[in-house]
Amino acid sequence: MSAGGMREDRNWGGSALVLPALVLVAAFLLAPLALILRYSFDKYDPVKLMLGVFSPGNYVLAVADPFYQKVLTTTAGIAALSTVIVMLLAFPVAYYISRLESQRLRGWLIILTMLPLLLGNAVRSAAWMIVMGTKGVANSMMLGAGLIEEPIKILYTQTAVVIALVSVLLPFAIITLQSVMDSIPTSLEEAGQSLGHSPLRTVFGVVLPLAMPGVVAAAAISFALAMNAYATPVLIGGPTIKMMGPAVYDQIAKANNWPFGSTLACILMLATLLLTVLSTRFLSRKYF
Amino acid sequence: MGGLSLGRLAFLSLVVAIFAFVIAPLLTIVWVSFFSEKILAFPPTGYTVTWYARASEMADFYNGFVMSLKVGVCATLASLAIGVPAALAIERFPFPGRETIRQVLLSPMYVPAIVAGAAVYIYFIELEILTTFQLAATFSGLVIAHTLVALPWTLRLVCASLVSANTVSEEAARSLGANALQTFFYVTLPIIRPGMIAAAMFSFIASFSDLEKSLFLVGPGKTTLPIAILNYLEWSLDPTIAAVATVQILIIGTALIVSDRFVKLGKVF
Repeated sequence: MSAGGMREDRNWGGSALVLPALVLVAAFLLAPLALILRYSFDKYDPVKLMLGVFSPGNYVLAVADPFYQKVLTTTAGIAALSTVIVMLLAFPVAYYISRLESQRLRGWLIILTMLPLLLGNAVRSAAWMIVMGTKGVANSMMLGAGLIEEPIKILYTQTAVVIALVSVLLPFAIITLQSVMDSIPTSLEEAGQSLGHSPLRTVFGVVLPLAMPGVVAAAAISFALAMNAYATPVLIGGPTIKMMGPAVYDQIAKANNWPFGSTLACILMLATLLLTVLSTRFLSRKYF
Repeated sequence: MGGLSLGRLAFLSLVVAIFAFVIAPLLTIVWVSFFSEKILAFPPTGYTVTWYARASEMADFYNGFVMSLKVGVCATLASLAIGVPAALAIERFPFPGRETIRQVLLSPMYVPAIVAGAAVYIYFIELEILTTFQLAATFSGLVIAHTLVALPWTLRLVCASLVSANTVSEEAARSLGANALQTFFYVTLPIIRPGMIAAAMFSFIASFSDLEKSLFLVGPGKTTLPIAILNYLEWSLDPTIAAVATVQILIIGTALIVSDRFVKLGKVF
């Protein structure tokens, strides 16, 4: 009995090792989030900055004001379109990677997938600006090939934002889908093939239904990331395309309207939280 | 089964095309960094390497680079210092609610960067009003924010290597009379070293490439490289910025390949 007691004491000592990390996250992430949640119910005043009241006025403004309605619908629209395209592109790539026999090639393809993801948004946006600019590579190539007569405007359009966002989201979607597909045994596909089904029918009839949790999770992650994008709408979209991420920055850092900026941030946070819960719900079901 | 059917060929070309879509812009920016003309035109009239020298002479880029390097190293060390003990506690000393704690520690990865950046900025200012201790627009403030960016990577990779390493040798050491510290330094640490190196690499990468969290926290003369790139891009697009981007691609690419030597990335993700 006493040995058991001692062991328990030791366990508690060991678990204390988690404390420094926990304190840091609590002090510099959870507490700040709680603070902006409080501010989101406050009211802005041009002189005193904040009135210290508690009212849902900012939330009403965020959904009722035509300007912010437009920001919300633009953001949701661009995020939805990007997510659909990303899923269509990520599925074949993830399937290809997960069915590779060569571990070496697999490793290299994962690095290739991860590299753009890890470069950060500044470099990635710079690259897309060079490709999509009026005098950029895409226009020069199309002019050279005689496909167009004069340069077309790609940069600073919604299309450009969607293209750039798709490239931002692809790595996340590929990695998420691929890890779920890894857990689907190939024997199931072989069974389908031996019944005389075409490879395409096998994929849609066997792999897709089993990979569905991964598809939902990847789509939720993609949508959340697209909604929260900052650098892509600012640099690729330009001043005319307003999305939520830049709106949060403008309100807090430029307009000094902390309450309303906090409200926009909390709306983003809430949407992301719901999507994350949704995706983890679905992902955990893969171990049935 | 074998052989290259038309359908399989179409599938392979699709996969190659998608990879090309992701990689082509990066290759383009590397290519542009060697163009001889300042005004972009394709194809270029000639090639040069002078833009790299030009970029290193520009104070914004040079200082940004040094700042990102310093912040990245400090944040990496800090995240290892708190992340490795946390991983050890979670994987080796089961306690009630540890899954919740794990999710809390991974949460900096899931909270949108722009939201976290805004929240930390407001929080720093409020702290300053309360205590007169300035964190916004300081080096320490950046390091704190970046430690949070790095922590989930450290935790994930170190936890993964603790799970895959079996506990038999640790138990053997304990039963032979080694105390907890000796067991950690002589048995556990060598086992998880590859995971720790990968954790350090990814923590550094996450910090070095971060833009959104730093956005609110940088100050005059205290700008990180991605922010310097962002500011420059709002006004001009030329081979100088391509050279700066290429340097960042090289640094991050190297860190990625180094970490793959220690932990097979194909197995981590």
